[in-house]
Order: sequence, then structure tokens, then C-alpha cells
Amino acid sequence: MYGWIWRHLPGNAWVKALLSLVLVVAVVYVLFQYVFPWAEPLLPFNDVTVDNQ
Amino acid sequence: MAATTEQQELTGSPAGPRRRGTGRVAAAVSVFGELLITAGLVLGLFVVYSLWWTNVIADRKADRQGDKVRDSWAQEEKGGPVAYDSKNGIGFLHVPDMTGDEILVEKGTTSKVLNDGVAGYYTDPVKAALPTSGKKGNFSLAAHRDGHGAKFHNIHKLKKGDPIVFETKDKWYVYKVYGILPETSKYNVKVLGAVPKESGRTKAGHYITLTTCTPIYTSRYRYVVWGELDRVEKVDDQRTPPKELSGS
Repeated sequence: MYGWIWRHLPGNAWVKALLSLVLVVAVVYVLFQYVFPWAEPLLPFNDVTVDNQ
Repeated sequence: MAATTEQQELTGSPAGPRRRGTGRVAAAVSVFGELLITAGLVLGLFVVYSLWWTNVIADRKADRQGDKVRDSWAQEEKGGPVAYDSKNGIGFLHVPDMTGDEILVEKGTTSKVLNDGVAGYYTDPVKAALPTSGKKGNFSLAAHRDGHGAKFHNIHKLKKGDPIVFETKDKWYVYKVYGILPETSKYNVKVLGAVPKESGRTKAGHYITLTTCTPIYTSRYRYVVWGELDRVEKVDDQRTPPKELSGS
């Protein structure tokens, strides 16, 4: 999978490395900005109140 | 990333036309392995997100909202137009034995409120009695133990007799901790009652209740700390804090 991505990135090794870094940053951004905030309330780690539900 | 790429190339390269069958299996296994590694990395990132990033975001928001509250107080003091908005918070909680920071108090205990790095007073299932109303009752609060500011992270450091001070525009409400319930069910709404019987009190009074989750990093149980109003001090011109806070 990662090898496939590496082979399909254009340019020489340096350009590939730079593009990989950009991709990693983009993935982390999407995770932190959208995926984790969505997933968090669905997981039972952060309920702090007492209630009768 | 680099390590997995090497691994892919090592396992993937023998997939020449000679050994197509084993090459396919090897490729499938290596993709599966990479997916597992990816899943591990994502879970690791989620921990980083929960325990660090949400604190960064929440502290930023709480600071901004806290500044707004202080600004509106200062404006009111000067006799300017009152831009008071209870949405921004009703006051600050100071618990020197738990945290050196002040904790903004806002209305409600939904995750939308609490995720801004503040403590929320209960409106449901039991409505909190605000100290500013002067009536007897229970000022019940909740805040996060971990992530989103983690304002009650060190709640276990509170002992009997420790001060909990609630600061409003013109008064300091000084409470003293008298009861601790280190573990209770999350359905135990009785701890929020106007007279929290489990704390040992039987008569109506001015109580404060802090609730959060326990053990740390999970939310299986709830941790409860009760305090009782010791005295109320007027805020002076310099906003001199009561003696319980001047040490910190």
C-alpha cells in the first residue's frame, strides 16, 4: 500500500519524500479536525456528569 | 512511513513473473500488515488528540471566554454599557489544592459546554442552586478529568478542609471541602441533591458539589467532592483574593 503510493508519486526521491510528508500532514489534519471530534463522543472515555439515563 | 515502505519493498520485490502465486500472497499479507500498522498509528494519534490537543483547544477557548467575562465586569464597574452575557460564564472557581489556574464556570453540563475547558453547573437532572441567588441549596458542577482542559484532573488531591473559592463580580464565596466520595455510579444523581445525604449532611445549607469521572483516563465511575459555604467576602477595589488564595 505505502509502496504503491511511493511508486506513484512523481519526481525523484527528495520530491517523493516531500510529497509523502505533505500527505502525512494532510491525513493528521483531517483526523484531528474532523474524524476524532466526531468519534470522541461515541467512545466512553469522557463522560463526567452524573445523570439518570 | 519510511520503515513500512522498506518493508513493502522487501516483501513485494520477489513478486516477479516467475513466482506470481507466492508474490500475490506476499503482497496481500504486506497490505494487511500495513493496515494494522496504520490502525495502530491512528489509535496512537487519537490518544495524542484526547490527552493533549483537546487541552490546547479548550484552554484557548476558556481563556478567551474568561477574558470576556473579566472585561464585562470591568466595564460594569466603570458604569459603561453592560455587555454582560451569562453565556460567557458566571464566575471563576479557584481551587488552589487542585490547580493553580482559575476555572471559568458556565451554565450547563453538555459536552459542548464542558469541551471549552470550563466547569459547568448542572441544569439537568438536578438544577444547581447558584450561590449568587443567596438561597440554600447545592451548587453542583462538572468538568473534565482528562482532555478538553482537564480542569478537574487533580480532584483526588483535595482533602477535607481545603478551600474552594467561587469568584463573581462582587463577591468571593469561600467553601470548605467536608466530604469526598471517591467512587460512585454515574447514575447516582442523589449526590447533586439540595441536601446531599451521602455526604453526611442532613440539613439544608449552602453546598458546593464537584463531579468528574474516575479512574483517570476512563469514565466508569464518578468522583464527587462536597464543600460547604464558610463565608462570603466582598470584592474590594483591587480584587484582593481571600486569604485562602493569597498563598498561591
